[in-house]
Amino acid sequence: MNKPTEVQAEFSFSGQLQAQFQHIVERYPTRESALMPSLWLIQEEYGYVPPLAVDWLVENLGVSHARVWELLSFYTMFRSEPQAKYVLQVCHNISCHLMGARSIIAHLEKRLGIRLGEKTPDGKFALEGAECLGACGHGPVMQLGKHFYEYLTTEKVDQILESLKKDIVPRADTDRELEE
Amino acid sequence: MAKLTIDGKQVEFPDGTRLFDACSEVRGEPLPHFCYHPDLSIAGVCRLCQVEIEGMPKLTIACNTTVRDDMVVHTNSDKVKKSVQKILEMHLINHPVDCPICDQAGECGLQDQYMEYGLYESEVSIADKVNKAKAEVIGPHVILDKERCVLCTRCTRFLDEITGSRELGIFNRGDRAEIGVAPGKELNNNYSLNTVDICPVGALTSRDFRFQKRVWLLRSTPSICPGCATGCNIRVDHEADRIYRLKPRRNNEVNGPWMCDLGRMEYKLVHDEKRLKVPLLRQNSELEPILWQQAWSELTTLLGGEVAGVALTSAGQTLEELVLYRLLFGDIFAADRVWGGLSGFGLKESDDFLLASDRMPNRTSLTWLGLREIKPDDLSQKLSGPAQLVVIYGGDPVTADSKLESTLADCDCVIYLGTHLNATACTANLIIPVSMWAEKDGLFVNKQGRIQTFHRAVSRPGETREDWRLLADLLAELTAHQPPTSLPQLRRLVAEELGIKPTSLVSDLPVTGFIPDLSARIPTGGDH
Amino acid sequence: MNQNVDHILSTRFGRKDGHLLSVYESEEGYQALRKALTQMSPLQVTEAVKEAGLRGRGGAGFPAGVKWGFVPQDADQVYFFVNADESEPGTFKDRYCLDYDPHMTIEGAIISCYAVNANLCFIYIRGEFGWLVDRVQRAVDEAYAAGYLGHNILGSGFDLEMIVHKGAGAYICGEETGLINSVEGRKGQPSIKPPFPAVSGFLGKPTIVNNVETVASVPYIIREGVDAYRQYGTEKSAGTKLWSVSGPVKKPGVYEVPLGIPFRDFFYEYLGGMVEGEELKAVIVGGSSVPVLTASEAMGVNLDYEALAQAGTMLGSGGMIIVPQSADMVELIQVLMHFYFDESCGQCTPCREGTGWLYKIVKRLRKGQGVQEDLDLLDQVCDGMSGLTICPLAYAAVMPMKSFLEKFRPEFGALIKETTPVGPRSRWPMGEQEI
Repeated sequence: MNKPTEVQAEFSFSGQLQAQFQHIVERYPTRESALMPSLWLIQEEYGYVPPLAVDWLVENLGVSHARVWELLSFYTMFRSEPQAKYVLQVCHNISCHLMGARSIIAHLEKRLGIRLGEKTPDGKFALEGAECLGACGHGPVMQLGKHFYEYLTTEKVDQILESLKKDIVPRADTDRELEE
Repeated sequence: MAKLTIDGKQVEFPDGTRLFDACSEVRGEPLPHFCYHPDLSIAGVCRLCQVEIEGMPKLTIACNTTVRDDMVVHTNSDKVKKSVQKILEMHLINHPVDCPICDQAGECGLQDQYMEYGLYESEVSIADKVNKAKAEVIGPHVILDKERCVLCTRCTRFLDEITGSRELGIFNRGDRAEIGVAPGKELNNNYSLNTVDICPVGALTSRDFRFQKRVWLLRSTPSICPGCATGCNIRVDHEADRIYRLKPRRNNEVNGPWMCDLGRMEYKLVHDEKRLKVPLLRQNSELEPILWQQAWSELTTLLGGEVAGVALTSAGQTLEELVLYRLLFGDIFAADRVWGGLSGFGLKESDDFLLASDRMPNRTSLTWLGLREIKPDDLSQKLSGPAQLVVIYGGDPVTADSKLESTLADCDCVIYLGTHLNATACTANLIIPVSMWAEKDGLFVNKQGRIQTFHRAVSRPGETREDWRLLADLLAELTAHQPPTSLPQLRRLVAEELGIKPTSLVSDLPVTGFIPDLSARIPTGGDH
Repeated sequence: MNQNVDHILSTRFGRKDGHLLSVYESEEGYQALRKALTQMSPLQVTEAVKEAGLRGRGGAGFPAGVKWGFVPQDADQVYFFVNADESEPGTFKDRYCLDYDPHMTIEGAIISCYAVNANLCFIYIRGEFGWLVDRVQRAVDEAYAAGYLGHNILGSGFDLEMIVHKGAGAYICGEETGLINSVEGRKGQPSIKPPFPAVSGFLGKPTIVNNVETVASVPYIIREGVDAYRQYGTEKSAGTKLWSVSGPVKKPGVYEVPLGIPFRDFFYEYLGGMVEGEELKAVIVGGSSVPVLTASEAMGVNLDYEALAQAGTMLGSGGMIIVPQSADMVELIQVLMHFYFDESCGQCTPCREGTGWLYKIVKRLRKGQGVQEDLDLLDQVCDGMSGLTICPLAYAAVMPMKSFLEKFRPEFGALIKETTPVGPRSRWPMGEQEI
């Protein structure tokens, strides 16, 4: 488990986030059970969970430091350090493997100039392996935040990377048009 | 009650008894285990206490099962033995072979259980072994070796359930899981060393004890911690008259299986460099060592003269010593000039667990014997006037109240019977070295009013006298009393004094101590 | 014989608007809820589900109605969890349910909560389905607005609060007590049993955890009746199942078919057989955590709980992975062993150490550093895990490992290049250090 490296002045929730936090605490039956959704609230706002946020949670939810760090180290999606701008997670489990995930990963490594598990020097891209993402019949699949890019081919990968290099997040296969 | 069969024996146990405890009792030794601990919640993670229950398709862990009527249990069948062996192997595959440098060797759960159930060659390739951080200081008293940890969760459960301080967590998943403190935090509470006690392997070890002594060379003597009025039952681990560590001894009426870190360090005073080992006499304002003959002669001369004397002792002395003290000085000085100690001495913050605010082990005895405590100012008053002789037996009143230093300096003669060259000793004219708790047999009465006995673990250093014999000799020399000549005789005298059965302090003294019924007692001189 | 069923679970699959309340309501949505709350008692709902023979669709196959019956009648507080942690490799059917038809699951959950007298329901969705979490939350909001959630639902006096809870990346949270512990604010490590969740679960209270597909099956059973449901499937495996199909078949995807149809029919008629240039080598029928079937074994089996158990495997989650001849079985098992090594929660020793050890042995084998004894060692490690752990994850690793080894042993043997050194393994030369 790595020690976080960033130093910050102080942590507190702004108005809207504070309201959301209150809402969580009111709905969840115990303060302890509000821990996971609170961590998501923080991470979705800051991109990771800063150490000062850990102190803040300990104070406001009455949990121990050890507990917060247990969650941060146990759940793969919680991050205790600042992340790259685009974290690309490619499934390498059995179904995607059968559909060519390895070559997709190799292609991404080549295009980005990094190995699986690394970050580009400019901090823009990180490439990670992921276990089954629940898109097995649509594989190979890659996740970027809340977006799944499915039925990947090297061409499709190139298109996605080109778009991201211009800071345009391409439409994901999981995006839906909402008819409200 | 449940009637069941364990290993072919028909047995009966109260409803709700854990099968683990029932099996352990029948076998005469515990089932193999790491995570089970009678004072903590059930974890069921080590999987070692597997037993075969007829009618159930799989083996079950005994710690999470309660006894039921007509259960037929096998703890030693081939199926169980094979499974225990396999599970033990799982515990060992990533465990480093640190035995030659590990403090736990000789009292290690892995070693013991491997010898009992294992004895096979390792099948894991060294290249495959998981490595983790070693020798990580996680607090003032505890050092962590993550590789050795078998993740039994005893330490985390202790800190969750007993102290509630929750410093330790288990981070990561799978075989990367490791015990630790949160970043920037430490394990720093007054009970941290209990985690070392309960850690079955050498993952959590004591910094104080690190590399000091191989445990199979140690001998253990049961004793009572002198650190406070709780009187935790302890054992003194020593070799060749040197104490290496103190550990708790279970007494469910007093401390359970725990003790505090402060108490554990009490042994250090025994071997402190300021220990008084020979009698000292002030000559030309310097304290010079003298022979016992001369010391005895000085002592008896000073005490035998017709001088107005004051005697002060402390709640650190044993019950027997206090009885003789009162007898002796009540006789030669008069009862109203004999005091139990400085009032308020040794009172500090308590915690809500074992550490009492009264940091003296035997204040209750003072109360029982009517040895009142005196405020320092009142003592100063008593000491001003015609030729004053002061006898201070134990304690360190000058450190408690520095004004006493000048008061004592003005006295004609100060005799100090003590253990350390402390501030009080430095005001004395005659110093008689006496023994510490670990060097004698004695009784302490804790804050519950429980009489508990402790035993001599190490020899007295140098020419230190055994306290009670010294007091007895003085009684014989200076008074008409016939003092006891043996420890049992002394105990019977104490029993008489308290109005309890004579054998209750000798042959009938229970291991867990006892709270006597003093209602039949005739109060003597000035007690409450 | 195409027995495609498209009106129980998969009614709105593939549609762009099926997730909307307005659409759901116009297509008999929430009628079952109305019927349950106004015409049936909780006990009657439980009985109906029991008689319908609905079995847990997450993997265990335990009869849902029976599980509901374990909740003490006099419980002062009951909790209900919908398990949408779908992480079993090869499985993506719950995703389809929640993506295309969230209201079906919501309605099923409300009815289920009514049956067991739960007033708080969590829908636990794996964190990687972040987009689904938002979608389901919107559907829950719609349900509240329409009065299907909250106080006095449809005037019945029944209250229910529903919380969408987002997971954060841990397969083990799919185990019901792991899920419960996760929502309590701890690591998602399973609890020792007893006590069982139905007696003492979330916050020490009676708790029921059911899979999405299980819960989604409830509205149909209540609305159309037990007999309507039982006309599909077999005696012991009643109803329909959503099969998640992946691998190089012509038509991978999610299929709803009655339980009991032969695999052969399913394979050729629904899936269209293998893609050009590939032949069937093996099938993993129930998500990766079940024993693999060879092609010929698969061709002779029916797709229901009993038949698959008899064939030495399990229906599990119904995550069907089609393995082609071109696949390297040892490479595949390395992929799978890495998964269990990654996902083992680490609590109990046999699984924690065993999953790591299995992965490392297989990895070494594939690097050409294995010896003959390693094949027996793999079996031995498996035996040190099976039946000795807190939860079935150890089994989940052991079943593919042992079955691959048993049915494809020559592929493992072919990787053995070295001769075994003499003496005990602990004294063999160290060889290349692996980081």
